[in-house]
Amino acid sequence: MDGKATTAVPPVELQAPPAAPARSWRAMLLAPELSGWAAVLVVVAAWEAGVRLGKVSPLYLPGPLETGGALYDLFATGHLMADTAVTLTRIFGGFLVAAVTGVGLGIWMGASPRVQAICDIMIAALYPLPKVTLIPLLVIWLGQGELFQLTISWLGAVFPIVINTVLGVRQCDPGLILALRDLNASPRQIQWKLVLPSSIPHLLAGLKLGLGVSIILVVAGEMVAGKSGLGARLYLSGQILQTDQVFAILVLLAIIGIVITKGGDLLDRVGSRWSAD
Amino acid sequence: MTTEGARLLSEIVVRDLTQAWRTRGKPALLALDRVGCRFPAGKVTSIIGPSGCGKTTLLLMIRGLLTPTSGTITFRYAGHDGPVDGLVDGPAASMATVWQGFNLLPWRTVLGNVTLGLELKGTSRKLCHEAARRALAAVDLSGFEDKYPRQLSGGMRQRVGLARALVQDPDVLLLDEPFGALDAQTRLLLQEQLAGLVETTRKTVILVTHSIEEAILLGDRVLVMTARPGRIALELAVTLERPRRMELTHTPAFGEIFDAIYGRLKSEVERSMVLAS
Repeated sequence: MDGKATTAVPPVELQAPPAAPARSWRAMLLAPELSGWAAVLVVVAAWEAGVRLGKVSPLYLPGPLETGGALYDLFATGHLMADTAVTLTRIFGGFLVAAVTGVGLGIWMGASPRVQAICDIMIAALYPLPKVTLIPLLVIWLGQGELFQLTISWLGAVFPIVINTVLGVRQCDPGLILALRDLNASPRQIQWKLVLPSSIPHLLAGLKLGLGVSIILVVAGEMVAGKSGLGARLYLSGQILQTDQVFAILVLLAIIGIVITKGGDLLDRVGSRWSAD
Repeated sequence: MTTEGARLLSEIVVRDLTQAWRTRGKPALLALDRVGCRFPAGKVTSIIGPSGCGKTTLLLMIRGLLTPTSGTITFRYAGHDGPVDGLVDGPAASMATVWQGFNLLPWRTVLGNVTLGLELKGTSRKLCHEAARRALAAVDLSGFEDKYPRQLSGGMRQRVGLARALVQDPDVLLLDEPFGALDAQTRLLLQEQLAGLVETTRKTVILVTHSIEEAILLGDRVLVMTARPGRIALELAVTLERPRRMELTHTPAFGEIFDAIYGRLKSEVERSMVLAS
């Protein structure tokens, strides 16, 4: 039996592992890490082919090449860069205010049962409410300017951030709290040295969710009430049947979405490493 | 080192200590029932008893992390006109605890975990690091300062827990089933290491354990507790010579003490099983 075992696994092979095989194009496209992009490529190709073969009017459905061209033109001559900057500023402006207020309120709620009780029902009432339904009211109160845009962005992000922060604070390991009390930590020190850092994974998850909602609401807000920004531009292009421009802006929004979602995934990974036991 | 001047702890006296857990609509659950015992300074007292007998509850109350329903814990000091009682607001001795579940902060390095207690006191960074390195050397963990708890084995994590307690240089060291979560071999090794540390520092140690060998090997005295509600069933002195090594467990003198404890413990464990079913 011993002899068989050694012949079955020759030591020579173990010492000299074969060089990494050159991967074919097909293999690379099918690799799991690239298959997502490959799928996008397939969809875009089918889109172009469909439009050409079916002779669809570009008024209804412009092909990807035409969309790309429109996107280029918009950037080159149509000041799309300025609109993108305006929209991103609104998203991140409201989001940053929401991050500070949301995390602050979440920690406060986690630390104080009274504050928790005060805020709990209000949050339960407002959280599931689709925030777009508040747009008409906000326009009446705040007008159609930047204050309105920042408020709608803040409103979108703040709830997921508060709720996840409270969750993170609540899930602090009671054993660790005992350990810190044993080290004579004051309640304030326990908050700063233990509760806040231990809530970081949940907190990051909340920030990621909040940013996603911010994007939706800012674009919606711009479409309904904006004079500038990607949402307003999108709405205007639709009104005058510039379908290729509509598609161009949608593609741009999708790209922004990819960048932000992938950034969020990175936050998640940082979070899970942070508290890995 | 005592915390304030030359105040020297002489003993901790526990009198009529009772802990009752009250839940609405149910009769109060008596965890500890009028426990009385004393812990002489500079000695190791082991507490052993069936699961759920309130050993850990007793330890938490001595540490001041849990308020007893009734009864007193008094810290007596030598070199004073009279004994100073210290349950609610009097002076308690400086204490540090080693936990069964390690309770290390996962986002702090080994060094960061050991320095935490000193940091909270406002000790300078340099002194923190020096003291922590010395404590880590005492538990044979030099060279692991920059590792994170998740990168260490259970035995190493508990040595970090031990270093975190030792670096505080407490009057009283509380050990709550410190090796309960470790495998048998690691446990043996750490028991010997701890026996050595205890012998050289001559601290007041209270050790809660499930293991009779551990209780005898480390203890100058062993308290055996009854099944719930916990009381002191038996108290015996362990007069075996120090330093004590694992081989001691095979001697007739050790066996005699073992049998005395086991005889009493067995009936209590049986009783607790009847209670549980």
